[in-house]
Amino acid sequence: MDFVPHDEKIVHEMLNVIGINDLDDLFKDIPQELHLDKLNLPSGLSEPDLFHELEKLANKNKLHLSSFLGAGCYYHYIPSLVDFIISRSEFYTSYTPYQAEASQGYLQAIYEYQTIISQLTQMDIANASMYDGSTALAEAAIMATNILRKNSIILLEGIHPEYIEVVKTYCWGQNINFKVISEDMLGNELNENTAAVLFQSPNFFGNIEDTTKIAKIVKDKIPECLLIQVMTDPTCLGILIPPGLTDIDIFVAEGQSFGINPSFGGPGLGIFTAKQKYLRKMPGRLVGKTKEINGDGIGFILTLQAREQHIRREKAISNICTNQALCSLSALVYLLSIGKTGLKEIALQNFQKAHYVKKKLSLIPGYKILNKKPTYNEFLVRCPNIDDFIEKCKENNILPPLRVSKYYPNMKDVALVCVTEMNKRSSIDKFIQIAQSTSEQQMEGN
Amino acid sequence: MTSNVTLIFDKSSGNAQKNFTPKMDIEEVELQDIIPKSFQRIDLPLPDIHEVEIVRHYIDLSKKNYGVDDGFYPLGSCTMKYNPKINEIVARIPKFSQIHPLQDENQGCLELMFKFSKALEEITGMDGFTFQPAAGAHGELTGLLIIKKYFEDKNMKKDKIIIPDSAHGTNPASAKMAGFSIVELQSNTDGEVPLDHLKFAMQEGDVAGIMLTNPNTLGVFDRQIKDITRIVHENGGLCYYDGANLNPMLGICRPGDMGFDIVHLNLHKTFSTPHGGGGPGSGPIGVIEKLIPYLPKPYIISPEKVVNYRENNDNSIGRIKAFWGNFGVIIRAYAYILALGAEGLKRVGQMAVLNANYLRILLKKKYNLPYDRICQHEFVLSDKNLPNDITTEDIAKRILDYGLYAPTIYFPLIINGAIMIEPTETESKTSLDYFIEVMEKVFEEAQNNPDLLKNAPNNTPVKRLDAVLAARKPKLRD
Repeated sequence: MDFVPHDEKIVHEMLNVIGINDLDDLFKDIPQELHLDKLNLPSGLSEPDLFHELEKLANKNKLHLSSFLGAGCYYHYIPSLVDFIISRSEFYTSYTPYQAEASQGYLQAIYEYQTIISQLTQMDIANASMYDGSTALAEAAIMATNILRKNSIILLEGIHPEYIEVVKTYCWGQNINFKVISEDMLGNELNENTAAVLFQSPNFFGNIEDTTKIAKIVKDKIPECLLIQVMTDPTCLGILIPPGLTDIDIFVAEGQSFGINPSFGGPGLGIFTAKQKYLRKMPGRLVGKTKEINGDGIGFILTLQAREQHIRREKAISNICTNQALCSLSALVYLLSIGKTGLKEIALQNFQKAHYVKKKLSLIPGYKILNKKPTYNEFLVRCPNIDDFIEKCKENNILPPLRVSKYYPNMKDVALVCVTEMNKRSSIDKFIQIAQSTSEQQMEGN
Repeated sequence: MTSNVTLIFDKSSGNAQKNFTPKMDIEEVELQDIIPKSFQRIDLPLPDIHEVEIVRHYIDLSKKNYGVDDGFYPLGSCTMKYNPKINEIVARIPKFSQIHPLQDENQGCLELMFKFSKALEEITGMDGFTFQPAAGAHGELTGLLIIKKYFEDKNMKKDKIIIPDSAHGTNPASAKMAGFSIVELQSNTDGEVPLDHLKFAMQEGDVAGIMLTNPNTLGVFDRQIKDITRIVHENGGLCYYDGANLNPMLGICRPGDMGFDIVHLNLHKTFSTPHGGGGPGSGPIGVIEKLIPYLPKPYIISPEKVVNYRENNDNSIGRIKAFWGNFGVIIRAYAYILALGAEGLKRVGQMAVLNANYLRILLKKKYNLPYDRICQHEFVLSDKNLPNDITTEDIAKRILDYGLYAPTIYFPLIINGAIMIEPTETESKTSLDYFIEVMEKVFEEAQNNPDLLKNAPNNTPVKRLDAVLAARKPKLRD
C-alpha cells in the first residue's frame, strides 16, 4: 500500500502542465550512472499483513506480569487521558510551531509545561524539552563551560553509567576535560578550571544525596562553579526537596516517568531547568507569552531564537532543533491528571513499597543491603546466588532487577532493585519468596 | 493586558484527586525515620484539577492548532507528509511499548532494528546503521564525531569541515559541537557547489570533509555530485550526507552511490513518523564498511540466527544517548517501509518531485523563482517582485487566513525573503490546486489591498504576535 492519492490520469495531466512527457524527465539532473534500477526490498504489505508482521516481532519480546527493574526507565501508571490527548492529531501531526498564530494550542500547552516544570522543580525557568535525561545532562555541562568560559567538569560517581558515557562523548567533541570522582575526592579535585560539578540524586544506586553538603564543598572552594543535578525518576519530587530550594544552578531529569511508555528506552523526555540569570545561555526551544502587535490579545510564540541554530548557525549555543514536544505534552497532562495530591501519594507509595521490600530482603540470610544513605524507590542488594535469583524471577513472570555487573563488572553479586506504586502486594510477596528460596541457608539445605 | 486566554492553572479546583494511585496494600514506615527532614519537600505547588476540566482544556487547545490531518502543510525542508494511522497502532502494541530497555528477553526489538537497518542499507547504499540518535541534528553530531574519531585514530589533524552556504542551520551548529571549525562554500549561480573552490579548500590539508544535502535546500540536485565526492576523497576527506532531503531520492538514487560515506536520516520526515509538534524524532546514521567500528555503542549485529549487540569496541565514539534510541519512533518508520515496499518507496520519490514541479510551474507565473529549473522535492521563491512593500512574512501570515499552513520562510539564507515550498507526495492535485489558488489570490491582494496582508492573519485564534516584545521581556512561565 502507499499513501499517494494520484491515479495515472492525474499524473499525466500534471506532467503536461509541467511540460514534460515522462516521470523520468523529472530526474534528468541525476547522472545516468546514479539512477537506481530497483530497490532490492520486498513488495508492500496491506494493513492486516503489516499488523501481523509486527505482531509476530512483538511476540518475540517478553512482557512480564510485574517488574523490579528500573535503572533509568520506570513503570508508573499512566492515566488514560494522557494517550487520549496526545493522540489528538492537531497536536501529534503538527510541526514545530514556527507559525505562531496557527499553532496557539500547542504553544500554550508548552508554556503550561514550562510553568508546571518550574512549579515542580522550583527552578526559575524550564525549556520546552531536550531529547532525554542523558543528553540534557550533556548539554547542561556544555552550557556551564560556556557560561564560565572554563574547560573542565567534574562528575560524581553515582550518575547513571550510560549518562556518564554520553557526557563523555559530548565533552570529547568539544575538548572539555572530564573526570569522574567520588564525593570525598571533590574538595581536592576542584580547581580554577572547573566549570561545573555534576551529580545525580537519587543516584544510580538509589542513594539520596546531601545536596547542601555537596554545594558547600563546591561553593566554598570555587564560588562561581556551577552545580548541576540530574534525576532519572522525578516522581520523587512529590516528597523530596525541589532543586530550586537548594544551591542547584541547572537541574535536568529524565521525564519518562511522567506518562511516557518505556518503549524499549525511547522516546523519553529531557527536562531542562535553570536559574533565571542563565536564560540566554540555555539550549533548546523556549515559548514565551506576548501580545498582538495591533491589539490587546495575548498569545504565545517561540522566543529567544537568536540562541538557536536556524538563526545563528555555528554560533548557536546548541545544534538542537527537534525536541520532544509530544513527550512534554504527555508529562504536562500526566502531572495535571495526578495533581498535587496524586504526585505526593505516588511518591510516598514508591518510597513505602521499596522500603518494605528492602526491609524484607535484609532479613533473609545472605542478602545484604548496600546503601548507607537514605533511598527512594531503588536500592542495592548483594545476593547470595544472583544467577539463581534472576532466573527464578523470570520463571515466575517477574522482570528481575538489574545486575549491576552489567555496568560495574566488579559488583558481581549485586542487584539494583526498583519498586514502584505498580508493584502489588502479591508480586512483592512472590519476589521475597523467590529471594528466600535462593538464600544461603536454602541453598545449603538443598 | 486583557486576557483572552485561560491557562490550565486558572482552573484549579482544589479538590484532591486520587483517581490514578493504586490502593496501598503494605505496612508503612514513618518517612521521618528514614529521610532527614532537610531532604523533604514541604510545599508542592501543583494544581489539583478535575479530569473533565483537563480534557476539555486540551481539546479546546487542540482546536487552536494545525496539523497535517487538518490540511496542506507546505513547509520546505520539513517533509510534512501524511502520518499513516496504522503506525500509531503498531507502536502501541504492549509487547513493544511496555518493554524495558535493560531487559534480557528483547529479541523482537533487536530483530526489528536489525531488519530495519538492513532495509535502510539498501535504500541508502550504506553498510551499517545505528538508531541511537534521537533526531536529525543529533544524527549530524554523531556522524561528525565519527569523522573526528576516524582521523584521530589515524593521528591526522583535520579540524575543519566544508559546508555550503545553502546548508541547513543544524549543519554548522553540529559541526561546532563536534569541535570542527567551518569553511563556508558559496554556491555558484546554478545553486551548486563550485568545484574549483572545493578543490582549493580541500588542498589546505586540514579539512576533514564536506557536509552536503543533495538535493540541496534550493531543491536542486547537484549534477556534479560524483566529482564533489571524488575531490573530497582524493584529498583524504570524508563525505557526509544530510538526509533531511532524502524523500525525493527514495528508490531513485542512493547517497552511497553518489559517493557519500556517512548518512543521517530523519525518520520523522522521509519515513512518515509524526512530527509531534517538534518531536520526538529519530535520526539514524548509516556508514560505509570502514566506518562501522566507529558507530556508537551498542551496535546491533546478527552473527547467526539470534540478533545480538556489541557493547565493547575501542574505535567506537561511545554513547550518544542512553539506551537504544527512540524505539517508539523506529517502529513506526519500519512499519512504513514494510507497507510501501520497493515499488511504493519509488513512487514516493516520483510523486514528491511531480508535486513540487507542478507547484513550481504554476506559482512562478506570479512569484519570482530565482533558480528556475526542474526541482526535486522543493523549490524556493523570493520576495523580489512582491508589490507595495509586502514582505515574505506578510504573505505567510495571509496564507494562514485561508486555512492553510505557510511555507518555510526566510530560509535558505542565500535567497532574499525566501518562500520555501515542499508539498510531499501525499497531497492530491485538488489540494495543490487550492494552494495555487490561495497563493494567486494573496498576490492579487498584495497588489490591490496590501493592508489585508499587513494586518494578517485575521482568521486565526490570535492576530499577528509581537516577537520583539517576547524576546525583549521574556515571559516563559506563569
